[in-house]
Amino acid sequence: MNLERLPNEEKLILCRKYYLGGFAFLPFLWLVNVVWFFREAFVKPAYTEQLQIKAYVKWSAVGLLFWVAVLTTWITIFQHFRAQWGEVGDSLSFTIPLGTP
Amino acid sequence: MANNAEDVENNFMQGQPESAAGPEPRQQQQQQQEGGTRLRTRGGSGVGRGEGGGPEQNGHPPAARPAVQEAEEDEDEEMTLKYGAKHVIMLFVPVTLCMAVVVATIKSVGFYTRKDGQRLIYTPFPEDTDTVGQRAVNSILNATIMITVIIVMTLVLVLLYKYRCYKVIHGWLFLSSLFLLFFFSYIYLQEVFKTYNVAMDYFTVVIVIWNFGVVGMMCIHWKGPLRLQQAYLIMISALMALVFIKYLPEWTAWLILAVISVYDLLAVLCPKGPLRILVETAQERNEPIFPALIYSSTMVWLVNMADTGGPRRESAEETQEAAPEPAESPPPLSSPQDDGGFTPSWVSQQEHQLGQLQSTEETRRQIQQMPSARPPAEEDEEERGVKLGLGDFIFYSMLVGKAAASGDWNTTLACFVAILIGLCLTLLLLAIFKKALPALPISIFFGLVFYFATDNLVRPFMDKLALHQFYI
Repeated sequence: MNLERLPNEEKLILCRKYYLGGFAFLPFLWLVNVVWFFREAFVKPAYTEQLQIKAYVKWSAVGLLFWVAVLTTWITIFQHFRAQWGEVGDSLSFTIPLGTP
Repeated sequence: MANNAEDVENNFMQGQPESAAGPEPRQQQQQQQEGGTRLRTRGGSGVGRGEGGGPEQNGHPPAARPAVQEAEEDEDEEMTLKYGAKHVIMLFVPVTLCMAVVVATIKSVGFYTRKDGQRLIYTPFPEDTDTVGQRAVNSILNATIMITVIIVMTLVLVLLYKYRCYKVIHGWLFLSSLFLLFFFSYIYLQEVFKTYNVAMDYFTVVIVIWNFGVVGMMCIHWKGPLRLQQAYLIMISALMALVFIKYLPEWTAWLILAVISVYDLLAVLCPKGPLRILVETAQERNEPIFPALIYSSTMVWLVNMADTGGPRRESAEETQEAAPEPAESPPPLSSPQDDGGFTPSWVSQQEHQLGQLQSTEETRRQIQQMPSARPPAEEDEEERGVKLGLGDFIFYSMLVGKAAASGDWNTTLACFVAILIGLCLTLLLLAIFKKALPALPISIFFGLVFYFATDNLVRPFMDKLALHQFYI
């Protein structure tokens, strides 16, 4: 899908749908939103809908950063303390590495 | 698998009014779906607009037209070639990427080469038999069952299409891609983690798979960035190829490759072939075939000039992979779904010259041949790309993956080169014949020849040389 050929209203609708969709635990969707609409929002010369698109892109970026922070924290904690948690650690694990921790 | 019918489709569309054709009204309604027609340069043709203002010239002023028209004919020849090379490259990259992913996985993750004794229900006969003869018979039976399943699926698909059961088809494709994107990628991720001995918790995995799957479904079936969609198609083709490599026994796999190439050839080229019927039906109805199963290298935009005045778009992409094992879908065709109902024709300059300003109700897909300095006008159409069915990706990758699994790098590279050569030749034939062609036969044939030759002749030779430290 080429954004160039879409009329502005449709771009806005698409951006909004991607933004709203990201709330369903989909930070990747927010990432796609930011990357895809970045040019539209910040580089292109202004047009009516651009303000709203900018807002969506910004909020998607905020949401993305939040998720990145949460995930990084959790992963760090898990990787570090997994061995010490014993049984709980194992039940949380999807794959358990071999060898001594 | 189904996806094969790969009709590598070349979407060279003919632009315009070939000026050379003399002053008849150019309302060429060629409903082409597949047939790519010769490419024409647009330089020099104008687009007439019904009542929307003067015709827009695409780069050459009207005065220069007569001279340009001569040049157009010559340019056409060149353009055909130039395009051909570019399109070949446009297909090389995804095919190479898919193969690279499969080879990398095969070489690193042991899961996909380990025979766990599990088989697909389509290949019930085991290959670890006592005698070679028994093994051969079993593999032949397996291949027969598999190909029968594929033929049946293709026929079911053609029937569904003929009787307009679109919902069923779409639902089926949706479910297939769902399964592929979630389940198989979950297994893939698990195996990769096991291989690299990484601990991973359920939360992260669930979040990752959920994101991957949902965004994949959106990109493939709905709207998403083109590059991301292409990436997803490559990934699901690779996943499918890996599944085949794991679950098909050795001899069965090679036999299936050979048989499916033959089937592809017959299904696409024979007058009563199911895929050909499918394509022709789509052509008659003037509609796009499936929003799935096809990798398209660019997006096509069609512009309707007369009525709406605004750009109307047609999504050429939505490709999807169909066919996880349980749902072996029939070979997809790569018909230009972007054809849907548009019968393009530019109002020719002829008309303009003759003073007829016919309103163009249609637009034509064209390959943009505009001089680069000129900004694209509203009527311009995006460059059409080439389309290749996902089944082709799968089988190419499967061949190279099997070569990587059982042979050394010589064999793998040889097969890789063979497949690319085959793809080039297929595209060349496509440029010559301009209709949907099966993309499997030539490549798979070369691939098989190279595989067996390299494995049995070149490899022992190289090994002996290395052993004796004899450099040539």
